[in-house]
Amino acid sequence: MPDKVYIVFARKARAEPLRHVGSVHASDPELATVYAWKTYDEERWFEMAVAPRDAFYPVNRAEAPFNIVTAQAAEA
Amino acid sequence: MSQAGLAAAITTVDEIAPEPRQALRNLILALADSKRILGIRYADWVLGAPELEASIAASSIAQDEWGHSRILYALLKDFGDEPDQIEHEREPSAYYSIEALDESLATWPDFVVANAITDTALTIQLEALSESRYAPLRQRVKKQLDEERFHFGHGRAWLRKMGQASDAARASLQAALAARWPAIVSWFGPDDHGALLSEAGFSDATGGEARARLVDRVAPIIEASGLEVPTPNLDFSGWDPSSRRSRRGGPDSDAIARARGDRNRTFLMD
Repeated sequence: MPDKVYIVFARKARAEPLRHVGSVHASDPELATVYAWKTYDEERWFEMAVAPRDAFYPVNRAEAPFNIVTAQAAEA
Repeated sequence: MSQAGLAAAITTVDEIAPEPRQALRNLILALADSKRILGIRYADWVLGAPELEASIAASSIAQDEWGHSRILYALLKDFGDEPDQIEHEREPSAYYSIEALDESLATWPDFVVANAITDTALTIQLEALSESRYAPLRQRVKKQLDEERFHFGHGRAWLRKMGQASDAARASLQAALAARWPAIVSWFGPDDHGALLSEAGFSDATGGEARARLVDRVAPIIEASGLEVPTPNLDFSGWDPSSRRSRRGGPDSDAIARARGDRNRTFLMD
């Protein structure tokens, strides 16, 4: 399975909104969850979740910051 | 934990009879040494993993294992051991680490097998202590198990990824698994090993029960990766119940030098 970009969201407390903390490259969702947890370990997160970047549809910008299609992905 | 278990909780080893006390001490040391060596084996891949994220994960899980071993070594003080001596002064032959980690993880398939299978064997043993009557141990198990969930996820995902990648990748994984499997399943000892601890409520699995739990846990991920579960002939003729090893001599001297922190002795503080 080729690598995908997964967007990482997290929050420190239940009362906080989830925020976009970064992204990881992974070949499947399980690996993405582990990579996200181990890469963005600067906080004691209350919750973290990942989603494949291609699950997002830009609303007002064709190239929203985390929705930019890389040259490599465009060729695939 | 059950009411009976709570009522019988023990907070100091003085309350434990000599025989189970020694067995519990040996079990904690076997886990601590295995986790210390595993941390070193993982650390070897911090710069060489096939993906940047896997390198970061290797670094993080290596630190987790190192942390777990420190917590476990510290517990031995209650048993009359001197943690500094245990951590920094022993010869390789005095190590109680699992034989499956005696050699470095030369290839990425070796890493994946250590991560998915050997690490899980240690986790199964740790889980058996999560309801232990010995409270100081029980209280230190949960955080380790929380972290182990991610180690298992990483190992399982890589086993699957490599098993499905190509015939050659699957064959190298099967060879790495076959080489380590006998030492991994033998680590739990004969079926009745640990019965003393089990009967006294310090652990909830004998050797045979723990081995069966390991197979239940890892056989599905081995098979889902297109691999076969090896079937070794278990032979415990030279097996030492204290160190849980058949081979004498311990891990390679380089790993022991790093485990002891030989190059950092000048920084050791009282």
